Amino acid sequence: MNPVTIKAIARKEFYHLVRDFRSMYLAFVIPLLMILMFGYALSLDVDSVKVVIVDHDKTKESRELAQKLNASAYFQIVRQLNDSLVAVRYLDQGLTTMAIVIPPGWTEDLKADREASLQVLLDGSDPNFAGISRGYITAFVEAYNRDQLLSFLNRKGMDEIKAPVDGRIRVWFNEDLESQNFIVPGIIAIIIMIVGAMLTSLVIAREYENGTMETIRSLPVGGGELLLGKAIPYFLIALTDVLVAVFMGQVLFGVVMKSSFCLLVLASTIYISVALSLGFLISIATKSQLVANQMAILITFLPSLLLSNFVFPIGNMPKIFQMLTYIIPATYFIDILNGLYLRGLGLSHLGQSYLILVGMLIVLSYAGFALLRKEGM
Amino acid sequence: MSWLRIRELVRKEFIQLFRDKKNRPLLIIAPFVQLLVFGYVVTTDVRDVRVGVFDQAHTRESRLLLDDLDANRTFRITHYTDHPKELEEILLRRKVDLALKIGPEFSERIRSGDSAPVQIIADGSMSNMASMRIAYTSLVLDRFNQRMIEERYKQTLDYGKIDARIRTWYNPNLESRNFFVPGIVAMLLMILSLLLTSMAIIREKEAGTIEQLIVTPLRPIELIVGKILPYIIITQILIIIVTTFAIIWFSLPLKGNFLLLAVAACLFLVSTLGIGLFISTISATQQQAMMTTFFFIVPFFMFSGFVFPIASMPTVIQWLTYLNPLRYFLVIIRGVFLKGVGMGILWPQFLAMMVLGLVVFISAVKRFRKRLD
Repeated sequence: MNPVTIKAIARKEFYHLVRDFRSMYLAFVIPLLMILMFGYALSLDVDSVKVVIVDHDKTKESRELAQKLNASAYFQIVRQLNDSLVAVRYLDQGLTTMAIVIPPGWTEDLKADREASLQVLLDGSDPNFAGISRGYITAFVEAYNRDQLLSFLNRKGMDEIKAPVDGRIRVWFNEDLESQNFIVPGIIAIIIMIVGAMLTSLVIAREYENGTMETIRSLPVGGGELLLGKAIPYFLIALTDVLVAVFMGQVLFGVVMKSSFCLLVLASTIYISVALSLGFLISIATKSQLVANQMAILITFLPSLLLSNFVFPIGNMPKIFQMLTYIIPATYFIDILNGLYLRGLGLSHLGQSYLILVGMLIVLSYAGFALLRKEGM
Repeated sequence: MSWLRIRELVRKEFIQLFRDKKNRPLLIIAPFVQLLVFGYVVTTDVRDVRVGVFDQAHTRESRLLLDDLDANRTFRITHYTDHPKELEEILLRRKVDLALKIGPEFSERIRSGDSAPVQIIADGSMSNMASMRIAYTSLVLDRFNQRMIEERYKQTLDYGKIDARIRTWYNPNLESRNFFVPGIVAMLLMILSLLLTSMAIIREKEAGTIEQLIVTPLRPIELIVGKILPYIIITQILIIIVTTFAIIWFSLPLKGNFLLLAVAACLFLVSTLGIGLFISTISATQQQAMMTTFFFIVPFFMFSGFVFPIASMPTVIQWLTYLNPLRYFLVIIRGVFLKGVGMGILWPQFLAMMVLGLVVFISAVKRFRKRLD
């Protein structure tokens, strides 16, 4: 290993990169866009549920119910309707998530101390959205009934009945339940895969396609020196992207890391190296930029997005896919990010994930190196 | 326009497409793999919620509560512990999604008519999942409370309360698959048509054969039609196969009209083929075309309502999504699959997609012709 050789290769690779506008775009603009997109615009939370109300009862109480609903932060009444069929149309067109029908005689039932039924129609097509909306309306009805019970007991001159169990629900790790807090850190893992693996997957393949691989072979350059030299510019770019992402997440979206920054840099360094070795391995194995690019999307980008516990919980997947997640590097990196950002964990808890990533790095870089040697480097 | 010349070009395209071995996996295997992976992996269902319990009471009441929880299909008690530290530890290590702490005076308090606090700690790191888990937990607690009150007073208290009859329409069991798989079909249609058209033209450019095509008596409009027609045919056939496969494999409900879907797919293709044509005018190599396609697909995908609900986006972005053809197609494909609605409901989407498609397509064709001349 000669540092001068490595430096020379790194410089050449850097020039290549700077001259190719599209690569630079992929390296810097895409990460920025992704952070902005996910931090600012994309969320899995439900701010307020759109509701249409069909009030067949038309009493003071039924109007108050509607007002209460509208005053709550969780609901937004789009329209008051007179006809249930029109409400169905609203649901069909997707103009509302929920339709609440107050039947005639509703107030009468309520005043006569009977159960007053309320028809709630929920658009279940998006299960995530519908599940959260259902939680909101159930909680709203519970609160309403509690008030009703209190006034009933007051009227009868009875003591207040206390709920036998008082569930005190607290949320840990992401106290405000905002999806940004787990999506923005997760994006760092995706960005590294795009920049690290997708860009480097083209690097050696390009030399093969251009026929310059022959030239390199005739030079006094070893395989290790070649890989290391080519890796350095991409490594620096990826690390810059990570730092920019962390900074933007913190400044623009208030996603604050609870654990130490050094641990994040350490984890990113290892993970970037894993991504780079994976990219090189693909590049050496395919020898074609087109195929390499396809492979990179298929085995680096998509699994990091889908099989890594990023947005879709691993626990929900069929067993076979669960097994698959164990060999995806992103799974461990996202675990680390989650621990550092949300849980405030240290090495004592995350050490295992760090070690597995290091292990993957050794295996992948050795495989790339061995493959290159077989090619006569 | 001469149909004869177009037909010959179409024939040449087909031969070229199927002769190249590299195209086969892209055309045949990739759609099915993507469909299967997405169909199985992309779920936000709330099921199998792992619960850790620290029960200091060990009484009949506390066991009843825990039984209620465990009997619920959504929850599964995986850890019992006797140390509060251990409860924190399993939460930190993501072994459980929910932790329950029952105090030592749990039963005494209930029997004396007081409220017994139960501490519930939810792992909020996936906020959307946590919201739903919390709602389900509250439901279990409410039912338990009702039972306890009835047991205590030996009668039901009849006070005027709301009985909310929540009926979930379109996807009654809230299955993610029913929502996502039709969306994947739309995604596949977009990726295939975008990639295939842009590549078809770039390939000629790269090989230098575009010059030869220009000197043939083929007129520009015939060239465009001849280049695009094969891909319309291929994507339509693929989509029919993939959709049928999805319906059978995932036993998806198809409540509406399959024909309506086919019409929608054609309209959607007008815009994506237009974009594909546009990409081919701004790229010189296949490599560039693929990257540019990637840049187009990601925002189209993110801002379509495929995974992230449009209603949760900021208002400005919500307006911007009206420019996204995928948005309309998703509404149509989900409407037809899940809601079983027809033209009477979906015409605004059809109209928007048609206008958008024509604008994109015509401007792309204009740009393309200018390039040829």
